[in-house]
Amino acid sequence: MTLIKRQKTMAVNYCVTPVIQALVSCQSMQLTRSPERHKIKLIQKAMDASPVDTRQLKNLAIMWGGLLSDDIRKKAWPKLLGVDVDNIPPKPDKEILYGHRDYNQVVLDVNRTLKRFPPGMEVEHRMSLQDELVDLIMRVLVKHPELHYYQGYHDICVTFLLVAGEDIAFALMEWLSVNHLRDFMDSTMDRTKHILNYLYPIVGKSKPKLRDFMEESEVGSVFSLSWLITWYGHVLDDLRHIVRLYDFFIACHPLMPIYLAAVIVLYREKEILSSECDMCVLHGLLSKIPDNLPFELLIREAGDLFIQYPPTQLANEAIKTYKRKALVVTGKKSIQKYATRRGTGGSWLWRYLVPDVGGGYIKVTAFVVVALLSSAAWNMWAARDW
Amino acid sequence: MAEELPRNRSQSEQKEELESSVTVIEKQAQRRIFKIIVIGDSNVGKTCLTYRFCSGKFPDKTEATIGVDFRERTIEIDKEQVKLQLWDTAGQERFRKSMVQHYYRNVHAVVFVYDVTKMSSFDSMPSWIEECDRHNLNKDIPRLLVGNKCDMKLRIAVNTNLAQKFADSHSMPLFETSAKDDERANHVDAIFMTLAHKLKSKGLFTGNTGLRIPGTYSIADNMVMYYVCQVTSVCF
Ligand SMILES: Nc1nc2c(ncn2[C@@H]2O[C@H](COP(=O)(O)OP(=O)(O)O)[C@@H](O)[C@H]2O)c(=O)[nH]1
Ligand SMILES: [Mg+2]
Repeated sequence: MTLIKRQKTMAVNYCVTPVIQALVSCQSMQLTRSPERHKIKLIQKAMDASPVDTRQLKNLAIMWGGLLSDDIRKKAWPKLLGVDVDNIPPKPDKEILYGHRDYNQVVLDVNRTLKRFPPGMEVEHRMSLQDELVDLIMRVLVKHPELHYYQGYHDICVTFLLVAGEDIAFALMEWLSVNHLRDFMDSTMDRTKHILNYLYPIVGKSKPKLRDFMEESEVGSVFSLSWLITWYGHVLDDLRHIVRLYDFFIACHPLMPIYLAAVIVLYREKEILSSECDMCVLHGLLSKIPDNLPFELLIREAGDLFIQYPPTQLANEAIKTYKRKALVVTGKKSIQKYATRRGTGGSWLWRYLVPDVGGGYIKVTAFVVVALLSSAAWNMWAARDW
Repeated sequence: MAEELPRNRSQSEQKEELESSVTVIEKQAQRRIFKIIVIGDSNVGKTCLTYRFCSGKFPDKTEATIGVDFRERTIEIDKEQVKLQLWDTAGQERFRKSMVQHYYRNVHAVVFVYDVTKMSSFDSMPSWIEECDRHNLNKDIPRLLVGNKCDMKLRIAVNTNLAQKFADSHSMPLFETSAKDDERANHVDAIFMTLAHKLKSKGLFTGNTGLRIPGTYSIADNMVMYYVCQVTSVCF
């Protein structure tokens, strides 16, 4: 019932046939006798193509069930990101790894990562994996001195380690750290905070009342910080849900995790509105994600929201939120200065998204323009090389 | 269709109504809410201490705190319900610079935590205090210093006298304790209870000056009542 209604709105709003196709194919896949086997074949075919059919692979990673199994993920994740697993640089010497400025913090955090290992794992096995986890993190940090470790980074690394093993996990994490996760790895968390500021505008577009309620409570957005910077690895208990989300995030725009955060908040609307309008109460309620959320549905909704309110559209609003709170930079000038200063170095994400205060965009790259104007936004969302 | 949104039927709506009316009653009953922020270096045991107090046990698997966690517990003081809301913060510097600030607002008390087995965590205390001064305009709010992990007797690195001198110089009481040691669980409770008493009395008698309690409170079972009775009535 929901599905049909959704199809209709989508078709009216966007006239995007691929959307309907994708939804229909989801449905038909459920109906076939062995939808999984069929999907596995499709994934295999996309991976075997030369060159790899990344567009199709991304579609499959996003669609119902994602990449299905960890065996497939181990092979498909590198292909999705274009990471060459045959030429992974060897591990540097221990002295180099352990001499890094962030080493002590990494060890402290990894020692406390017990919860992330499957229950019932032998203690010795777990401890050797923890050693590998430290090495994995240090390898990325040593190779990229410009990257700064943050508490939570280890939660992403442990997921890749468990699925793909140290070497492949290193190759994947290196790629993601200079791309999707780059903003979190600055020396400060200003840009992370900026991304968090997208949450309220997205929520507000769909449910203005909910936004008002949350703003009134002054709950802020820090409750979703760990969702964002650990790609939900820190808050979800079930590794199967986590890896499913990773399929989605790897195949999508780096801001997708914040869209998913908004979707989760929207999904819990009733719960939120019926609780006390109080910062502590709401923070306590929101910071824990129930484990039984319908993630497949939420993934689709996040994709929809992304198309409806692409990042560029939200950037100005986020800046306004940023300014209103005046937590880090105040005044027009400093924001502008800040934005331009970041323009060349740092992350590409920032360059795309920071609007100038007058309302135009300082720099908008081709894909954003295309994503905004193209009627095939769905395709862009699902299949572009970001 | 498998994952159609669960539609709440009237039954659950009724339940919600019931629950919200309960909340209203609760709200009336709990006139006092105290917000307490817990800060200190990474890994000193802030999460374990707050967990011990709010859940009554040592967590078997702690994880690094990312951003800010929130725990609460309602206690009774002089037949009055008092809710203590504890804000457990991330220790890594980058978080405190931009994420934790928000939570310094409107707090009623600050708990500084160091690890008695790690000198560097004690050495960081001045910078935590300085940071706190920057955020809290009101210097009057109670602060206390907690040295955690006292159960590791053979590895104690921070001398009690040293810590006491430091605490005195900042007019804070010092508590040495352990979140882990089950035998001393009451002790952690006593620390927060003490604070609650202080806050409550402060609320009743405005104009009270800062908290200053001479002497060290090291772990000793027979001391527990001392904290709650002696400390609260005599020194506050
Ligand atoms: N021996 C001992 N270990 C503790 C105690 N409190 C915490 N720990 C351990 O110290 C580590 C850090 O604790 P945690 O509460 O996460 O520190 P936080 O970073 O300050 O929140 C964990 O491995 C805990 O098990 C204690 O009282 N005694
Ligand atoms: Mg902690």
